Amino acid sequence: MSTRLVNTLIEQIIIFGTIYSGMLALLAIGFTLIYGVTGVVNMAHGALFMLGAYIFWVLTASFGPSGVPLVQLDLGPALILAVILTGIVGAFIYRLVIHSIIEDLAAVLVATVGVLIIIQELMIIEFGSYRWPVVPLWEGFVTVWGVKVTYSQLLAFAVSLCLFVGLWVFIAFTKIGKAMRAVSQDREMAMEVGINTERLYMLTMGISSAFAAIAGVLITASTTGFAYPHMWDRPLYWSFAIVILGGLGSIKGTLTGAFIIGFAENAFIFILVELGWGGVEFLRGVVALVAMVIVLLLRPKGLFGKRIEMEE
Amino acid sequence: MHLLEVENLTKRFGGLAAVNNVSFHVDEGEIVGLIGPNGAGKTTLFNLITGFLKPDSGTVKFRGEDITGLAPNKIVNKGVVRTFQVVRPFRHLPTIANVLVALASPRGSKKIEWLRTPEAKALLILEKVGLTEMMMEPAEILSHGDLKRLEIARALATEPELMLLDEPFGGMSPIETDFLTKSIRTMHLDGHTMFIVEHKLYALMKLAQRIVVLHYGEKIAEGKPEEVAKNKKVREVYMGGAM
Amino acid sequence: MSTYLRRAYSSFATHILDIPPRLLALLFLLLLLAFPLTKPRSTYLIILTAANMGAIFAASWDLLVGRCGQMNLGHALFFGTGAYITALLNFHLGWPIGVTIPLAVLTTVAIAVLVGFPSLRVKGPYLALVTMALPLIATGIVFYFKDWTGGERPLSGLDHFFSFLPYEQWFIAQYYFTLLLLVVSGIIIYKIANSHKIGVIFVSILDDELSSRASGINTTKYKLMAFALSALFASLAGAISAHLAHLRSTDIGMLSLTTTFLAVIMTIFGGVGTIYGPIAGAFILQFLQRYVLVEVVEVETHWQMIIFLGLIVVLIIKWPRGIAKFTTDKLEDLAEERPIEERGKHIWKRERKKKSSHEG
Repeated sequence: MSTRLVNTLIEQIIIFGTIYSGMLALLAIGFTLIYGVTGVVNMAHGALFMLGAYIFWVLTASFGPSGVPLVQLDLGPALILAVILTGIVGAFIYRLVIHSIIEDLAAVLVATVGVLIIIQELMIIEFGSYRWPVVPLWEGFVTVWGVKVTYSQLLAFAVSLCLFVGLWVFIAFTKIGKAMRAVSQDREMAMEVGINTERLYMLTMGISSAFAAIAGVLITASTTGFAYPHMWDRPLYWSFAIVILGGLGSIKGTLTGAFIIGFAENAFIFILVELGWGGVEFLRGVVALVAMVIVLLLRPKGLFGKRIEMEE
Repeated sequence: MHLLEVENLTKRFGGLAAVNNVSFHVDEGEIVGLIGPNGAGKTTLFNLITGFLKPDSGTVKFRGEDITGLAPNKIVNKGVVRTFQVVRPFRHLPTIANVLVALASPRGSKKIEWLRTPEAKALLILEKVGLTEMMMEPAEILSHGDLKRLEIARALATEPELMLLDEPFGGMSPIETDFLTKSIRTMHLDGHTMFIVEHKLYALMKLAQRIVVLHYGEKIAEGKPEEVAKNKKVREVYMGGAM
Repeated sequence: MSTYLRRAYSSFATHILDIPPRLLALLFLLLLLAFPLTKPRSTYLIILTAANMGAIFAASWDLLVGRCGQMNLGHALFFGTGAYITALLNFHLGWPIGVTIPLAVLTTVAIAVLVGFPSLRVKGPYLALVTMALPLIATGIVFYFKDWTGGERPLSGLDHFFSFLPYEQWFIAQYYFTLLLLVVSGIIIYKIANSHKIGVIFVSILDDELSSRASGINTTKYKLMAFALSALFASLAGAISAHLAHLRSTDIGMLSLTTTFLAVIMTIFGGVGTIYGPIAGAFILQFLQRYVLVEVVEVETHWQMIIFLGLIVVLIIKWPRGIAKFTTDKLEDLAEERPIEERGKHIWKRERKKKSSHEG
């Protein structure tokens, strides 16, 4: 079936591994940010990813559930709006749900999964179980080293990289970023120094959700291409795996974890395809999960795992 | 052979040595005290001996057997138990059930004599520390003094040979301190060897036969209470302190 | 709900109605036993049968999470694995369900121990994530072998209970059968959770695992025990459910997060850590879900889910740690006023008669 040369296989793995890793890093950074700063494991992270994709579709769709065009904005503004709206939703989730139970890990876990499923069900009710197209942000493709890469994927990678660096700079150099680092290291001390943790947490949640939304649009647009109510699962598994590999709360670790998962997953899938096994795309999330479980068995706190490791 | 032998025990956190090359021993039947200013490494030393922390170097031997770095529960089942400075009761269980936990350990359950149920034995232990009235109350409503006594009750339930008590008198009123001193003497007479960390030096002076002094993780003095009290280095360290 | 409602309910029962909770449970059981005498529609029997299985499922989750403190967000793994194994053995090999069900349960417990041993080394959020991942991996396996398992499509056409009886009697027979299973399982789980060795150790791990180890307990062993027991009953619920007359199938939904969350909802409704709470919660949920929301108000499935989840989110926010204080009658007997010697002898002889007890 396959007449590809081994060379192309390696190039495929390298190129897609890199692109994927960039996007996964963007996805996972929101998850790790919220844990690092507030100590919350936000299971609803996948739902915010989904929300970003859905809102983007609603705003740009040329036809909606009832066949009539909805708002039909341009891609750029739609993306920005989707991100902002999701960020606001995230902040709301913090204030309404997480805020009062933040001390109790078990309660936070159960409550955020509850929110996750609620959002899923809302999507089903509002838009049905169908798959709605999320248009690629930039049509066309380019051939790099014999591998076909769409502009959409390149754009996603570029944006991810920029945002990731931007966030790193933000945390390292701005006042708010410093506050985040302070809080992640010692909450009581930070409060004594006068940092308003409540507002900071809401902001962090907003940023985290915004990042999830951007990832939602970019990753969906450049890979699967459609939004559906269960689409929160893979992003959530990836976030888990990456953050566990890298250690909850560590930015450095997230980047490392993203690259490990990005490359491992792509290598695995491409090699399987090369060997003639079709239809293994669905394994994408599963590989990440298995990797995560294996790592945890060997290192119960992740590869870099400390709760508080926000400084570079 | 010493009951407990600690040799060159060292533990570093980051660049700082919390416990630095500490060596001493405890013989069967002794009451040995451990004193030192805050941050001297006393609790760290306890943690190292009882398996809650693994040392960077050095050994801990109990009855000649190397127990360095063993899991804490295994060490308890060999006969070495510790209490915590900040009490750690099981809040959702009634007082007596707190003791039942320790009695359910391999060592604790082995030593329940024929004709006795764990509950009966738990009752007897609570008697020894004076907690029978509170026995059905959930541990979380106990007063601080009661909780300290509960710590000791749980330790007793493991039928230890060596008991390491971490500031057992902490936060106690004079009456409670008196009662506890008597209890410790009784336990000592019952055959338990004790190694006690305490800040309230007057209480320790009356009980201990020997005292080890720690400062910045190092042993700076050791000897009978009167000798240690006169030791120049110790007085410097405790200048103005409750000597 | 949790402690406050339970206390209020318990208070109400003992002070106003003057009925101890034990008796109330017995009354409820009698009600359940007598229910089929009212010649209800088989739909109602089916609902209650599902409640019986749900109750076992929820109680098993509560034992692990509410009593032993090990967060498990992947409980559906046991349910689904139990269901799939019995389904596969029954469907492909044609073995009778009297054989496939026990085999399914045993295999699932074995898997649980295998998987649990490394998993329980991790704590807190990491454990939650790992347990959440396990059913997802299982789902991946089901999809991968879709020729055998049917993949996304249910594996149907399984044998069912009491097929030797005429059609009209299926539902009533399996209702009593599942009710019997519930009573037996419920009692076993309850007794384990309140036993003075294992139950007390479980709670000690919940409260302060470090302190428990400081008392000589091998907490890993007991966590594994809790995991295995939880798997046993959950897989039993799953395996039985696969062969109920109205289902006769297994599908991928049995491994889903939503399934796990049903156990969570039932437990939170009824009171975390109590064991009988989740059982009550199962019936409450079924009642609300199938009766109130369907017959009375007519709400569609997805809104139902949102309502229940919304309710538990609210409950969690209001009463996050609604865990009971754990006492048992045995201990309360001890608290009678008598001299020590007598007490010791008395316990040994175990003569005590029970007064009407009010559990705090």
